[in-house]
Amino acid sequence: MTRYEVRISGFGGQGVITLSKMIITASSLYENLAATQTEAYSASARGGRCWAEVVVDLDKEIKIINYPKALKPYDFLIILSEESANLIKPEDIKKDENTGYLIWDPSTIKKFRAVRRIEKALSIPVQILAVENFGNIVFGNSILFGAFTILSGFISEESAIETIKNFVPSSTLDKNLEAFELGKKEAQEFLKQLKEGKD
Amino acid sequence: MSKARFQEKRILTTGNYACAEGAITAGCLYFAGYPITPSSEIAAYMSRRLPQVNGTFIQMEDELASITSCFGASYAGMKAMTATSGPGFSLMAESIGLGVMLEAPAVIVTIMRGGPSTGQPTNASQSDVYQTRYASHGDYEIIVLAPSTVQEMYDLTIRAFNLSEKYRIPVIVASDGILGQMMEVVNIHSNIELVERKKPQVPPEKYKPFEAFDDDLVPGMAIAGTNYSFYVTGLTHDIEGNPEMTPEAAEVLIKRLCEKIRKARPQINDWEEKHLDDANIVILAYGINARGVPEVVEQARQKGYKVGLVRLKSLWPFPDELMERIGQMGASKVIVCEMNNGMIIREVQRFRHLFMVSGITIPTTIPFSPKFIYEKLMKEV
Repeated sequence: MTRYEVRISGFGGQGVITLSKMIITASSLYENLAATQTEAYSASARGGRCWAEVVVDLDKEIKIINYPKALKPYDFLIILSEESANLIKPEDIKKDENTGYLIWDPSTIKKFRAVRRIEKALSIPVQILAVENFGNIVFGNSILFGAFTILSGFISEESAIETIKNFVPSSTLDKNLEAFELGKKEAQEFLKQLKEGKD
Repeated sequence: MSKARFQEKRILTTGNYACAEGAITAGCLYFAGYPITPSSEIAAYMSRRLPQVNGTFIQMEDELASITSCFGASYAGMKAMTATSGPGFSLMAESIGLGVMLEAPAVIVTIMRGGPSTGQPTNASQSDVYQTRYASHGDYEIIVLAPSTVQEMYDLTIRAFNLSEKYRIPVIVASDGILGQMMEVVNIHSNIELVERKKPQVPPEKYKPFEAFDDDLVPGMAIAGTNYSFYVTGLTHDIEGNPEMTPEAAEVLIKRLCEKIRKARPQINDWEEKHLDDANIVILAYGINARGVPEVVEQARQKGYKVGLVRLKSLWPFPDELMERIGQMGASKVIVCEMNNGMIIREVQRFRHLFMVSGITIPTTIPFSPKFIYEKLMKEV
């Protein structure tokens, strides 16, 4: 199976859906991989519990994703609210090598019970970093996208940057690219720690 | 039939937008609609896009007006479309029969959500499959297409316009809340076949609006406001369009209206099939719910089970010939998967003299996962 199952959840307005659209844009339009994206609709996307899913097939020969919704266990989880964190069980995420990553935001999640039993869990205080470094929480998306790009490993830097250019107003591009770098760095550090932990 | 040239491109878009862009590609110049979840994006997209191609977008006061104004635009020579979901479709029901009676080409998109009544507006279902077929009163045939991917939301919307022009009948594209909202890449091809309706075959003084000269039983269609003067009505009418209240008139008209679609079944019916040649069990599905099936079939075949797949791309008229062929090819059982309490399965059950029929028919809002279908399949083998 070469399906790569991504689920992002949080509350409406955090950029959950935008991030999913960035991931599918980079995967399908720039990396030429088959992909589908589904999302929460209506009121839930506007302040309520919000989710989005992307399924990417890492096999370039595959032209279509058959089942369009992400299936458990996931390859990648991004959890941005405590309400969503409460629903996560350790077995919801894969345990294989080079997959099964969780990114969560301790600035919006005080208590994440399952996280201790998830091996590849990276906490990034996305909202705090975005506000402190760039003055607005909207830059959180590019931080997360940077971390996703490094950990998932199937989106090239070039594709990621082209995607950001597509999504952000040109006046904020530089700041977004800096935020992207920040996210990349967090993920690279994390991978290094994981490797050292094993050695 | 004409070939239109388009710039080849790949776009990443949602099912609803792909459907609307498909309509523009097909030459749609008129959209009248009333927004309803989860179809509203089609209207929103058309409101931006139609003015760019000198088309007309009108947000109507309700669905009754939406559908009838489409038939008006159709008689004015335009390709017309409306889009809605179950509750809105209910309001259009009466006038779908009018469209059949007037033989007015038009496309109606329904993005199925949970029902009955208000149901689950933001979720998907396949529970309006009968509604698409039997919405209106009276004895009639209708064409319903069922896309399964965002690409098919584009392709089958174009096909819907082509069929409606060719057979002069409202054609329904039956999609659902998930497919309408989800994103996938769509390949826009450079060569697309477009069909334009048959023109009057005689000069104005000899023209009778419902006189069919050809084997396809489709009369040539004059455009209102040209030299051709004619009268159309929802009443039973003769070939001149005048109301006629005799039993013979009913028989002649209704037989022709139904027969023009029934005899075109080989041209209308469309499906994807896999491994039918040696299949013992055939899984039949359609729309979004078909997308879990290919994986199940491959998995089962790896285990040595002779399982085949049929994915219907057109639901109505029902492909009787396909069912007969499945029987002839030796399948002993057909399992119908649908996100409703059992609708298409009843059509398949008409062929129980050829094979056994069982179903996974659940009125749920999420397409069946491969794992779920596989577990059910293993109980049947």
